[in-house]
Amino acid sequence: MRIGALFLVLLAAASVPAELPRSTYVVIVRPENPVPKLDRRFLTEAFLRRTTRWPDDTPIRPVDLGPDSPARASFSQEILALSVASVRNYWQQRIFSGQGLPPPELADDAVVSYVLSHPGAIGYVTAGTRVKGARVVDVH
Amino acid sequence: MSRECPRSLPGRLLLVVPAVVLFGYRPAAAATLSLREDVPDLEVHGFVSQGFLLTSANDYLAKSSRGSFEFSEAGLNFTLPATDRLRLGLQLFSRRLGPTGDYRAVLDWYYLDYRWRDWLGVRAGRVKLPFGLYNDISDTDTARTAVLLPQSIYPTQNRDFLLAQTGMEIYGYAGLGSAGGLDYSLYGGTIFLDVRPQPGSALTILDLDVPFVVGARVLWGPPVDGLRLGGSVQVLRLDTDLLVPGASGSVTVRIPATLWVASAEYAHRDLLLAAEYSRWLVKTESSNPAVIPEGSTISERAYALASYRVSPWLQAGAYYSLLFPNVDHRTGRESVQHDVALTLRFDVESYWLIKVEGHYMHGTAGLSSTLNGNRPLSALVPDWALFVVKTTAYF
Repeated sequence: MRIGALFLVLLAAASVPAELPRSTYVVIVRPENPVPKLDRRFLTEAFLRRTTRWPDDTPIRPVDLGPDSPARASFSQEILALSVASVRNYWQQRIFSGQGLPPPELADDAVVSYVLSHPGAIGYVTAGTRVKGARVVDVH
Repeated sequence: MSRECPRSLPGRLLLVVPAVVLFGYRPAAAATLSLREDVPDLEVHGFVSQGFLLTSANDYLAKSSRGSFEFSEAGLNFTLPATDRLRLGLQLFSRRLGPTGDYRAVLDWYYLDYRWRDWLGVRAGRVKLPFGLYNDISDTDTARTAVLLPQSIYPTQNRDFLLAQTGMEIYGYAGLGSAGGLDYSLYGGTIFLDVRPQPGSALTILDLDVPFVVGARVLWGPPVDGLRLGGSVQVLRLDTDLLVPGASGSVTVRIPATLWVASAEYAHRDLLLAAEYSRWLVKTESSNPAVIPEGSTISERAYALASYRVSPWLQAGAYYSLLFPNVDHRTGRESVQHDVALTLRFDVESYWLIKVEGHYMHGTAGLSSTLNGNRPLSALVPDWALFVVKTTAYF
């Protein structure tokens, strides 16, 4: 009985700050990437590294924002339909079963630099970040 | 006789290295090693776990009725993405769980992985067995809520048989457009088993081989975010030579087995629901049926689980797991194991977690007679509880 009560108290206490604050984001690719817009499901598969190549066979190089970024929380919930912590669990499964490695995690400016300097790269940044020539793509 | 021992390393060294990395540098992510400018970076990940087991009655996995800390694990893995298609990796793993493990470090998996297209890749080496939703991550404490996966389908004491095979795996992911996507793998090889003394057992194992293991897993992701439906099948044969008290000479026993499992999982944001149903057909063929009788049994296994992340630092989980070792004998405490589990997982830091888990058990089918003083399972306490605490640091 006491254990049950403790369990309920913990759940109630922990559920107050449930998620990071939301922030809008934009998805960016290199300017020469010919893809006009992206399907949300394609984006999910690319960031979970189930799909690894663009239609022209260039390797897809996804890059994430850091786990504490509000834009990362929005991207994970809206595109991947998972919380940031659930995505982290997914990568723990892949890493320790030898099935893959997660995308690098960088800050907004570094994501822009990474996308510009790596063929096939795709990232997202907090809306309002200077994208310095990277191309913003629509997601539908 | 095939043995993994030659690849064994000093296990305590394996326990120390991740600990030094974890507590010396407080990493939030993997360690990355640059070997040479023209060689891609090597990614290094690792974990160290320590658990405690306590049962109200019966000994389970270890001498748990008096409380046992014999529940330790450590792993260290290295992955080198040599090109955008070729990847190399290996993991060292060491553990102690009651009478198994003995802190010896072994090569848990190692592979060369060539992913030619998304729909076709090949892994060669010692690779995890893709069976059910979670067999290939059964060592990965950080990737789930529960300490113990449902033991009816993922029995931790059978880890040597069920975790990895040495051979080849063909795998891929095919997008099906509006029908979702298909994740599949097909594998074949062998399982190298180590013959160890079985204290308290009347039988002496002279030789133990798995001449083949083949299997496949297909997981379909329908166009519903987070839903996976699928099935796995595995066929293997275990050959052994035994010395049996009272029998002249050794007895050769062949044990062909066919395992299948149907799986369903739904993950949405912080919620995870999963259920699996499985049957294992195990036959026994003996060179001396008077001593080791021939026969076959079908076991039935199932579970349903739910977990929810209440906050970034707390997850709660629960499952019900059911085991019938022989579907033709469902009565008696030794013929069934009901397991109701409740877990709290605390993510204290991004590299450190603590789990607290309680189980209510009805039945003794999941217990080991050897671990319980060779008492028959029918003589053990039918209603008992298990309490587990485990902490894991990882990077």
